[in-house]
Amino acid sequence: MDDSSASYIHTVHHLIEECLVFNMSKEECMEALSKHANIKPVITSTVWKELEKENREFFEAYTKNRAERGSGMATREKIQNMLSSSTTIRDCKD
Amino acid sequence: MLAVSAAPLTNNNKDERQGEMVESFTMDVDAQEFPDFSDANHLLDSIDLDDLFMGIDDGDMLPDLEMDPEILGDFSLSGGEESEVINTSVLSVDRVDEEDNNNNTLKKEAEEADKISGSGSGSGSGSGSGLGSSSSSKGEEIVSKREDQPGLKTLRGKDHGDKPRKSSAQTKSNNNQSKKKMKVDWTPELHRRFVQAVEQLGVDKAVPSRILELMGIDCLTRHNIASHLQKYRSHRKHLLAREAEAASWSQRRQMYGGAAAAGGRGGKRDMNTWIAPTIGFPPITPVHHHHHHHPSFRPLHVWGHPSMDQSLMHMWPKHVPHSLSPPPPLTPPSWAQPRPTPPPPDPSYWHPHQRVPNGLTPGTPCFPQPLPAATRFPARVPVPGIPQHHAMYKVDPGIGVPTRQPGPNPPIDFHPSKESVDAAIGDVLSKPWLPLPLGLKPPSTESVMVELQRQGVPKIPPTCA
Repeated sequence: MDDSSASYIHTVHHLIEECLVFNMSKEECMEALSKHANIKPVITSTVWKELEKENREFFEAYTKNRAERGSGMATREKIQNMLSSSTTIRDCKD
Repeated sequence: MLAVSAAPLTNNNKDERQGEMVESFTMDVDAQEFPDFSDANHLLDSIDLDDLFMGIDDGDMLPDLEMDPEILGDFSLSGGEESEVINTSVLSVDRVDEEDNNNNTLKKEAEEADKISGSGSGSGSGSGSGLGSSSSSKGEEIVSKREDQPGLKTLRGKDHGDKPRKSSAQTKSNNNQSKKKMKVDWTPELHRRFVQAVEQLGVDKAVPSRILELMGIDCLTRHNIASHLQKYRSHRKHLLAREAEAASWSQRRQMYGGAAAAGGRGGKRDMNTWIAPTIGFPPITPVHHHHHHHPSFRPLHVWGHPSMDQSLMHMWPKHVPHSLSPPPPLTPPSWAQPRPTPPPPDPSYWHPHQRVPNGLTPGTPCFPQPLPAATRFPARVPVPGIPQHHAMYKVDPGIGVPTRQPGPNPPIDFHPSKESVDAAIGDVLSKPWLPLPLGLKPPSTESVMVELQRQGVPKIPPTCA
């Protein structure tokens, strides 16, 4: 039935978004959904890929961020940048 | 949801049953919607139901639910929009009392109804002619003199008779004719279609009748849509505000930690309603708006005061090391708690400011539970606004923090714990109506199905996982 497929896909989409919020990778997501929601990894991966196609920019940034996150250097840099840019706030506060 | 209940509608056939029910109906009719549109005749009749019922003995009982689908089907065919319009208007007239929300719309419709009934007798009869030859005359009679009960009675007798419908409670009929409030089950799928239709039309310009058309679902009446729309709009406003606030927070968080950035808006999954798809990703892209968050979060503050934020920001770096010492109980236990409750696990974490957001929260309808972002991350501290963020940058004792380099950067490792993931997943499965946390553009069903078939999965949901 078309309807149930559509809503199934919607559910998988929703679940994937939740995983994204947790900053998980596609593989991690496939595993989590399979384990906790009984969703076949192939389905998760297909929906993920389709989502990626529809939201390319987001996924590019997401992947990039994940990669950077792995490296402490990038994080430290970010923090330093943030600290220096936060002076604006500080000023306002003052 | 297809009930044939037609209680509201159906009275037509029940000549037999009328009798006793009549009186009660009459009373009810007044307050209720009428519509029995099984016949074109009734179309117009319904306008006058109150009067009609009083004098008429037909007394159809509502409980009688039979016939209607075909008759109604017929009716709608021949009646076309006009009948529907009239019906709707008529209904709305009655419903004014019942639904305050829709008052304005309904009043307008009521006016329209009057006009229509006045002018529409001709057209009504015209449209109804397919159904009943006598409808035109009847219609006119009815329309012109509302008190013309005897006349109606006759008419009624002829046809199946309209009967007072009392039933709104029992109605589950799904006739497309507008009836009383039918209990509509807003499944996620249905809601999704609704949202799609609304977005297509533009939220502000979305009119229930057009939405209904776009959705193309027979089971819904314009009224169902209208009230759903109203709720949707009001929720949306709240959610938008919260989203915006969340966006600013997540941007900040991103700056600090970079980790969950892409996940971005992190925790606003507590938005309970429909907004996610619209609010979603585009407005909030923390990734893209690195530098824009300053202007954006200031005005968005729903929780705290700007000053508080700033001081918090100030504090963050200082607090980071401090935060390393938080007791472990923070994580799993807090996660385990139901999201809506904001147990403040670590008072020691929080600077005094933390109280403020909580204090503000009750005042803002937007934050029913001070839980939003925190739930998303392992470091969860279920406190709204700033404190949460604060928490996020703290190390989650549960995760591999120690390995992070010491120093100014807070060791943010957002690897979700199994429990949190499980909880999140469970939430989605049990509450499908929850909005999508990111609101990404969904893939098209066909392309997913095609791809799945290519991969050897013929249908979903699969019978075996």
